[in-house]
Amino acid sequence: MTRHVQVILSRGQTLHPDRQTLEEQLLAHLQGCGGCQVLVVPHLYDLAADGPAVAAFREIPGDMIVLAWLYPRATHWILDRYGIRGQLGHTSLDGAPSPREDELTPGAADEARAVMPRPQTQRRIHCLDLQRYETAQPYVDAIRQLVWSQEGSAAGATNSPSAVRRIDEPVKRRWYPVIDFSRCTNCLECIDFCLFGVYGVDQADHVLVELPDHCRKGCPACSRVCPEQAIMFPQHKLPAIAGDLRDPGGLKMDLSVLFGAADDLLGAYDIAARERDEHLLIAGQRPAGTADTPRKPDAGQSAEKKDELDVLIDQLDAMDV
Amino acid sequence: MSSALTFRMGRFVAEFPTDRCYAKNHMWAQPRGDLFRFGFTAYAVRLLQDVYFLDWTVEPATRLQLRQEIGAIESKKAESTLFAPIAGALTAFNDQLLADPSAINLDTYGTGWLFEMRGAGADLLTPEQYLEHLAAVWPVTQRTIKGQLNES
Repeated sequence: MTRHVQVILSRGQTLHPDRQTLEEQLLAHLQGCGGCQVLVVPHLYDLAADGPAVAAFREIPGDMIVLAWLYPRATHWILDRYGIRGQLGHTSLDGAPSPREDELTPGAADEARAVMPRPQTQRRIHCLDLQRYETAQPYVDAIRQLVWSQEGSAAGATNSPSAVRRIDEPVKRRWYPVIDFSRCTNCLECIDFCLFGVYGVDQADHVLVELPDHCRKGCPACSRVCPEQAIMFPQHKLPAIAGDLRDPGGLKMDLSVLFGAADDLLGAYDIAARERDEHLLIAGQRPAGTADTPRKPDAGQSAEKKDELDVLIDQLDAMDV
Repeated sequence: MSSALTFRMGRFVAEFPTDRCYAKNHMWAQPRGDLFRFGFTAYAVRLLQDVYFLDWTVEPATRLQLRQEIGAIESKKAESTLFAPIAGALTAFNDQLLADPSAINLDTYGTGWLFEMRGAGADLLTPEQYLEHLAAVWPVTQRTIKGQLNES
């Protein structure tokens, strides 16, 4: 029996006409090429954990390809939060393919680091970031490659068009942190820093996002103080906070200074404390300032540098030179 | 719009009606009773171009400090955080814009208004003062934009 490859398209949140056009082009391609089952859902980040879209996700037994307006790391850990787990699969959009992709998946390369045990699963989740290309072709090529590599010639030979299922769950924009448990060391700085009660610990004293909707919309402060860069706000305009570890800089201009942003050069911790104070004031509470938590000004930066080096060394190891 | 002052941004001529005040962060402020209604000026809209998305991070009735963060905007050319133009209480947002922000581009000084605030607004500028402000910041703004575009 031919097993169809499950492709999920997570729609964008905005009325951006270019984005809507790209989504429709992708759907047309996918329908035409056959061999896939396509599920169209609202934006992944905004879904209700007990809603129909997440339920449909949970019914998918095998590998999946997820197209979303999110960095792949954000997609992976948002799904993890919904209990949809798998290994982060390599795609041809990730750059030079590694002959041993397990080296780069969370839970394999970073096993010693992960403090939160994740159930082991062989299923792969391939995440494609729709923010990268303006045209459908690179995504179609990447999907085709994945379908053929997984299904042999069976899927490629299927002539019947792909089935498309749309789930129009009503969503509104949410704002909450997403933890990358492959980086988290359970240092609990986020619990200490956040004064809105977003974080908690489970029975094994592992940190978790306990009350996501207590998070203050627009506040990314805990992400800045995390020494391991393990906390993402997928909708934040800074790529480093939204889940991109490479942080190549935004593609659009940032006019915030024009509209009144303070044009200063504060360190990450000072910015985080200021952001927290702003949101404490909005919530009718007293600002906390910077005095209550120990300063670790360079922790985030050095962790990032070390990590890039780790990845490089892993890649060298994998090349069998 | 009875009369307007103009400011030249390259070949584009931005217009500023004289029936209202202006804030330094490129918003117009129209007194309505004890409130001010705010919207983007033609200068801001020219830089943003087509607005795709607008999002507010505060609720109505929130007391705001000057330059406190209140939301974010995404347009064809930019992604930016938005800040309070004066200190005071935010009373209402233009909810029409949340579903379709195109009025910001189509009717910048009318139905494209953003929000209303109650506050003294003592630091608001007259149209003439705003034009002087633009003359001072325009060279810096051009450098900012070119600098960012060269980096990416």
